[in-house]
Amino acid sequence: MDITFSSRFKPLDKVLVYDVFNNGLNGWMEIMPNFCEAPDFGESPSIVIKSQWPPVMLSTATFRYPGSHGSLSGQYSLKVSTRPIANPYAAPPAAGSLGQAIKRLSFHHLKRKYLQFEMWFAYTAEQDKVDGSGPQPGLHESSIRSFGFGWDLQERGNRYFSGVRYLNSVDGRLQKKWQFIYPSSKDDKDWAFDTEGDWCIKGVDPFWCAKRYPDGRHDGYLDVPNGQQSLCYNETDCKLNWQYARLLIDTEKREYIEMQCQDKTFDLGRHPIYCTAPYERIDGLMNPLMWVETDTNRRVFLYVDSVVISQE
Amino acid sequence: MKLFNASHVELKRDFTEDFQTNPHEGGWADECIFFIAVEDMEGKDAALKAAVEISHDGVHWVAEGTVSDTISSLGLHFVRVKHFGNWLRLNCSITGEQPVFRLNIQIALKG
Repeated sequence: MDITFSSRFKPLDKVLVYDVFNNGLNGWMEIMPNFCEAPDFGESPSIVIKSQWPPVMLSTATFRYPGSHGSLSGQYSLKVSTRPIANPYAAPPAAGSLGQAIKRLSFHHLKRKYLQFEMWFAYTAEQDKVDGSGPQPGLHESSIRSFGFGWDLQERGNRYFSGVRYLNSVDGRLQKKWQFIYPSSKDDKDWAFDTEGDWCIKGVDPFWCAKRYPDGRHDGYLDVPNGQQSLCYNETDCKLNWQYARLLIDTEKREYIEMQCQDKTFDLGRHPIYCTAPYERIDGLMNPLMWVETDTNRRVFLYVDSVVISQE
Repeated sequence: MKLFNASHVELKRDFTEDFQTNPHEGGWADECIFFIAVEDMEGKDAALKAAVEISHDGVHWVAEGTVSDTISSLGLHFVRVKHFGNWLRLNCSITGEQPVFRLNIQIALKG
């Protein structure tokens, strides 16, 4: 174990993933629709248009004035981004207002209780135009609605999503608090914005499903207790500061244990993780996820330097 | 071993007027091919041209000089670019009478 790894991460016994994006994409790609329809691999019909979520890319974080920012571990990080489009917070997300990175692996041994996600990340908004108000109208911190990380899982006959997001901004008002995935919708129809017959199932894909409200509530997430945290967002959108985040869950009892960001650890109190009926063919699925959402008609970016997924 | 990666920059989307593809960073790569798959098309004399553009910041763009042949048939077409710095996109122009192009555009990078 090299000193950088042991200093930056605190993995569980079994390290399943140690991806440093300075070395390449390492199998992470963007989430896309399923193409299974006749006659020519059409997209399955849905109220949510996922074909506009942009591709992930290896980024040097190159900006107009400073040039290349590089990454924590070298030149390149994994960039998860959006298109320059957003709906108001309380509306269903606009096509392209989200970006999500996924890596697809699977549970491979029987003894599996704890699962942990660690990453070093930074986030910023595109420096496209000066259109803000106040003393720094060209600083766009409030354009970033949220970013998060977690998993899409199915094991031992339970399908479940677990993860946390940093809710940064709601319709331009800074929130700066952590939330964890847990659905509070009444049923599948409520989860799918009152749509009948969509494939959306309560608890699945909280990133683009579930109703949201102007005060920042979201039927796919609950607030982390005492989850307020002011992260480092520098004086201009072209300065990045690399930060650490971690989430620990129990896949045996299907409970949240704790999350950490920087020097603050948040007790998640063994809150249950919501499980749905298993899907066909995918038992054992383990898909780590990272995502970002824009709050306005401006691209926003989540840069990820490195990720460790571990288990014991 | 070289790195190679292909990503979609437009996915099964119908275009009826001029457009630019989403900005893509390819600074790690030595060569690039944009694959332009025309999956469906409509309109009399419908034609598409794709011009490569480069940028220093992903916001401001300038023509690189490479332009595709006129695309007016179904199937796979491509544009090749070798020297581009970091940011890449296509600036596409569409002409004809009520033209519709259903496009699937991939950027293939190697380096």
